[in-house]
Amino acid sequence: MTSKSESSYIQSALLSDPPCRADGRALLDYRALRLTTGVAALANGSARLTLGGTTILAACKLEIEDIEHAIDATDGRRISCAVSCSPAAYPHHAPAALDELQHDLAHLLNAALAHAALRPANLTVLPGRKAWLLSLDCVVLADAGNVHDALFLAARAALCDTRVPVTRPVEYRTPLHAGGVRGDGDDDSMGMGMGVDTDGAGLDTRHAAHAADFELADYWSEGAALEGWDRWPVCVTLNLISTTHFLDATPQEEAAVSLRLLLLISCAPAGPPTLHGTRLIGSGELPPAQFKSLVQDSLTYAKELKKTLDAQMHSERARRQSGVLR
Amino acid sequence: MGSRIETLNAGGYRSDGRRQLELRDFIIDLPTVSSSNADGSAVVSHGLTTVMASVFGPREARLRSLTLHDRAVVNVEVGITPFSSGERRRRGRGDKYILELAAAIKATFEPVIQIHLYPRSQIDIYVQVLEQDGGMLQASINATTLALINAGVPMSDYVAAITCGVFSTQPLLDLTSLEESDVPHLTLAVMPKTGKVTLVTMETRLHVDRFEELVRLALLASKVLHAEMRTAIRAHTGELIRAMGGSRLSRVPDREDAPGDDDQDEAMADA
Repeated sequence: MTSKSESSYIQSALLSDPPCRADGRALLDYRALRLTTGVAALANGSARLTLGGTTILAACKLEIEDIEHAIDATDGRRISCAVSCSPAAYPHHAPAALDELQHDLAHLLNAALAHAALRPANLTVLPGRKAWLLSLDCVVLADAGNVHDALFLAARAALCDTRVPVTRPVEYRTPLHAGGVRGDGDDDSMGMGMGVDTDGAGLDTRHAAHAADFELADYWSEGAALEGWDRWPVCVTLNLISTTHFLDATPQEEAAVSLRLLLLISCAPAGPPTLHGTRLIGSGELPPAQFKSLVQDSLTYAKELKKTLDAQMHSERARRQSGVLR
Repeated sequence: MGSRIETLNAGGYRSDGRRQLELRDFIIDLPTVSSSNADGSAVVSHGLTTVMASVFGPREARLRSLTLHDRAVVNVEVGITPFSSGERRRRGRGDKYILELAAAIKATFEPVIQIHLYPRSQIDIYVQVLEQDGGMLQASINATTLALINAGVPMSDYVAAITCGVFSTQPLLDLTSLEESDVPHLTLAVMPKTGKVTLVTMETRLHVDRFEELVRLALLASKVLHAEMRTAIRAHTGELIRAMGGSRLSRVPDREDAPGDDDQDEAMADA
């Protein structure tokens, strides 16, 4: 909680010429970004991200989901996100307020990442029957402002770190008997005699033409990376103050600003950047013309942010492969 | 059936290669710069079990109605990350297991922290289990002890916790999750200097003849853990002194009776 005089002090500093912030950054500067991947040994992919003081721990776990008997007909390959806020990050919040905040952040993550268009193709195990369900769990360990940006960056890093075990479908065949009568010629995949079958089991297996089970192709290999990793969005939070905006607010700056615009942008290397979602937080109005110019500006910021994160992920991968301990 | 993992094989080795009474790697991390605003925090690992504890307080209580006129209220909240165990399991805040853990930690520390010095205040202890492989309560209590000392909360003594179990008359110390599901075991929290026990929990059936030996071994183990914790605290304090420009001061002496360690005997004689 900041007092009125403190808020106006911060606001006038931001609106002055040249604008100045408490830690000396420019309006569009982000704080230091630190990334460590592979922090949760039992998860399929994990990342710990620190943006200034905000620390987020994100991890992905894969479970087999039976989509054949699911109530709602989906294709599987779902990504389900959950956020948990440690009380240590919000020491003055009541437990009910923490639950609300968790729910809000989880909803934001789900709305962006669980979208059907972003489902990775290599999460399918047996088409139409079984698929991987990816559960992304994020824990906010410390909040020093700009938790939305950090959350999406950590989620993206964890997803990029995830390795999906490679599976192959397995079907069971009985050997063909010499006297067996073949049924329809095209239903040969089961290799069993159809129709009048004097030697076989007598089951009509025409409907079980596809493989019923799967196995791991390689027990010891970690697996393949998730497909479509360049489609996942990053979040850019624009803190709006009169006609200007600034990025990566500290808690005091967040309390001094009444309106924030969240933009979820993905920048694939080929093609134009796409906007995945927006959210306006706080009290205030945003004229449409300003909204349009803000979206244009944020495309540049998102590109920079993504570039920074990708560079950090690259150096992390190199560090882990070379076996250097952190 | 494939080969079964033996809890204790004929050569005296356990499933993870340890001896009967050998403890797992005990790693303590007292952060010099805490990213959250916690007054004190510590990350403790017993082998693959990693727990982070943060302490806030003594501070003004959030709700006046929850305070006590003559002492501080100790409030413990535990969180277990869903990816901490092999199978993903998300536990809500009101989960029975979590509430039980929190109540056990609170019962352990309420008599140890000198709460009568801080009436109408609140001391918050937030425990976050990052990875679990058996000994969650043990690691939580050890992490909480270090976090409380790091926060400067006055306590009567350290509290060291250890799990011990019995595998067909053979005692085992510091059990992993595989061993916990196999053998009867108990968790003991001890104040090492006086040997007083502040917590005993057991959820399995144990023969009463074995109990005495387990308690005796747990007391010995707690002294070992206590020595490690003291070393870590002293190293951390030495760093802080140097950082505050105390290079003129001599190095913090590591004697058994060094100043700053209260001699309990006089206090015990008065009580």
